[in-house]
Amino acid sequence: MNALVSELLAFIARPEVSDDDFNALALTLFAHQFEHNLPFQKFCQGRGKTPRLVKSWRDIPAVPINAFKDLTLSCVPPDTCARTFMTSGTTRGDVKGRHFHPSMAVYDASMLNNFAQHVMQGSARVRLGVLFPTEVLMPNSSLAHYLALAIDHFGTPDSAYYLDENGLRTEALCEALQQAQESDEPFVLLGASYSFVHLLDALQARGQTFQLPAGSRLLDTGGFKGQSREIPMDAFYAQLSATFGIHRDQCLNMYGMTELSTQFYDAGNQTVPSVKRGPHWIRSRLVDPLTGHDVPAGERGILAHTDLANFNSVVTILTEDVGQARDDGFVLLGRAQGAQAKGCSLAVDDFLKAAQA
Amino acid sequence: MTAPLFKAGYLPGLNDAEVTWHRLNVGTPEAPLQVEVPLLSPSQMTALAQRVQHASRTHLKPMAVSDIVRVLDQATARLLDREDAVRQELERLLPQVTGFDAEMVRLNLHAYLHTFRGLQLQRFVAEDFANPKVLDEFQPRTQGGWTRALGPELLVHVWAGNVPALPMWSFVSGLLVKAGSIGKVASAEPVFATLLAKLLVEVEPRWADCFAVVWWPSGAAHERTAFALADVVLAYGGNTALQAMQAHVPVTTRFLPHGHKLSFGMVSACALSVRKGPGVARQAALDVARYDQQGCYSPHVFYVQRGAAVSPQDFAQHLAHELAGLQHKLPRRVLSLEEAAQVGAWREAHEFASLNDNSTALSGTDRSTSTVVYSDRPLPLTAGPLNRQVLVVAVDTLDEVLPLIAPQRDYLQTVGLAAAPGELLPLGEALGQAGATRICALGAMTSPEAGWHHDGRFSLLDLVRMVDIEASTEREAERFTPYEV
Repeated sequence: MNALVSELLAFIARPEVSDDDFNALALTLFAHQFEHNLPFQKFCQGRGKTPRLVKSWRDIPAVPINAFKDLTLSCVPPDTCARTFMTSGTTRGDVKGRHFHPSMAVYDASMLNNFAQHVMQGSARVRLGVLFPTEVLMPNSSLAHYLALAIDHFGTPDSAYYLDENGLRTEALCEALQQAQESDEPFVLLGASYSFVHLLDALQARGQTFQLPAGSRLLDTGGFKGQSREIPMDAFYAQLSATFGIHRDQCLNMYGMTELSTQFYDAGNQTVPSVKRGPHWIRSRLVDPLTGHDVPAGERGILAHTDLANFNSVVTILTEDVGQARDDGFVLLGRAQGAQAKGCSLAVDDFLKAAQA
Repeated sequence: MTAPLFKAGYLPGLNDAEVTWHRLNVGTPEAPLQVEVPLLSPSQMTALAQRVQHASRTHLKPMAVSDIVRVLDQATARLLDREDAVRQELERLLPQVTGFDAEMVRLNLHAYLHTFRGLQLQRFVAEDFANPKVLDEFQPRTQGGWTRALGPELLVHVWAGNVPALPMWSFVSGLLVKAGSIGKVASAEPVFATLLAKLLVEVEPRWADCFAVVWWPSGAAHERTAFALADVVLAYGGNTALQAMQAHVPVTTRFLPHGHKLSFGMVSACALSVRKGPGVARQAALDVARYDQQGCYSPHVFYVQRGAAVSPQDFAQHLAHELAGLQHKLPRRVLSLEEAAQVGAWREAHEFASLNDNSTALSGTDRSTSTVVYSDRPLPLTAGPLNRQVLVVAVDTLDEVLPLIAPQRDYLQTVGLAAAPGELLPLGEALGQAGATRICALGAMTSPEAGWHHDGRFSLLDLVRMVDIEASTEREAERFTPYEV
């Protein structure tokens, strides 16, 4: 395991890698997980995919994210793990997916390297404002850890959290933004997309807008998840841009998941949906959810990610997100929710609603 | 290449040019079809309703029910005739618009239409009215007085698109009670009602203004306008959609919703001999394959009794085998990405369960069409993802099924039952108490008989208003004759 971690850290640190390098490490991880993770082994056997037969990272069975709820996907006993991240449980009530991290070295290296490149864009430290609770308040949230890393490694000393157990600290945030505006020091505001909606509502109620200095950025992530009203993407970024005086190409969106150890970023949201790209240690495919095969070029498919930083769980996951290939990345087209039942026949989703009612 | 265009709707008294048409893209990428549906203004809708009411008062209400049945019988005969132009158009368009396999549409349509022939329709009427003449004129009551059944002046239908030709039930019911009708087609299947309306007018030209077929976007203001004009609103759809509709129905208007339903099958050990078991599985497979489980009567789960020569697990294997065979004869629709994802998620959930313990097994490695999941544990009745994904659950006795279906009481509809004669009535009693409204043989789940009580209700009786002349009126009337002494 330690050798694997060292190999991964070196891999992440390299400026670029070849297809063969990626493939080789993916297959190594697959073999490791197949050997040490019994539920995963059975899952692969059920699909006739074993390390002896799989020669390309594309053939590694993609584990549906629901499996993080139903199975224990770890190569080491879960109670020996440094951290366990849990999903927010938005889709299946109180059943939460669990992602076990024996050490945080790989996750942290993945996050920091990627964040430096896409969010910091060359600056070493910047004043950060976080619209999310701290890691102490949310020890099982991967996003809370991600944001803590951002503050620790890239934040100036006056960086702060503007959301706590009492909710949004609008007053303090407005003060900070005002200061930034007056001192002409760039400010980066980051947090959950729904927190931005709450903030927009609060600022609108106060009739307040800002003109943040050049170099300022916004970073939202995670969508609205029923935690705030749903805003169409275009209107969301238009409003963010207008409220903070930040050009839409500096309004970034991060696409990440509890089930991954690596994030995707876009280069701003001048147009939506924006193209998301990942670093060299993650690769994505668009697949047919039933066959697992790649969809024909240009068609919509379900996103499957092969994340080499997922060294302890499963290297390839099958999401519930619909995507489409674009340039050297992909665009997100929403969740593959069960198609609306067309008539009086009861389909799963409606049943779930009925059962919860 | 531009996709062919089908103009939906039937709008007596309105020119195409006066109407706003909304274009829908249906069909598959290989065989695209454009459908134009009419979107009327409030004043057009009101004028149409008045026209329909007036015409049905003039031409439909004076007709005897037996004459109406005769017209419907002629129309059905034409629909059953494969040489007939309308039938051919249905066979061409329905598969295209719904995505269902052409052979499946043809076979199901045929079985379905049989229930609308004259003999069956007479029985349909007799099911609800011991004396069908009560629909024509006042009939004497045995305890004195007179009674008469009057259909609505305006019946508004909101049809669903899950099963092709579904509108025929309520369309025909409306005609049998002599109601003027305005039907709203579903975007998913605007074809059948349109063609039926035109065919009926060909057969009986006097009905030209007695009904209309329209469309509006769900929840639009058009709905409120139409509902405000109706005496009765009959609607098919999901419960959320129905709830939204209900809010638009005036309190003085009768609202007859057909919402979400859940159906399942039960197989007694009596039916599981080595000789009979595979045949029963074949019938069960047909119920699953027909319309790819999209009907309210389609089974999601089969409860199978242990203890016979063919075990529940064997039954699951037979069922999987039959479903695989049916894929050649009645291929499944091509699924959308969303549907495929839902099927995948359901299958994977059971796959994970099978990794955690040995009580669950997935039949077949074919990952593209049907799946049979076998469970040795008594799982409660839940809805599957449709599209030929089915659960077989082993039970020791059929009575054990009752607590497993109890949570779905409000949703139960059809139970496909393979059992011995002695089991029928006790099981029927228990299933009825549990909430089921229809029990039928396996293989018949998707073909309800003429005169069935859809969701436990009366198809015709629910539409009419009874008018009584009480005996006192008649008795008193005797005093007011000129020849009274």
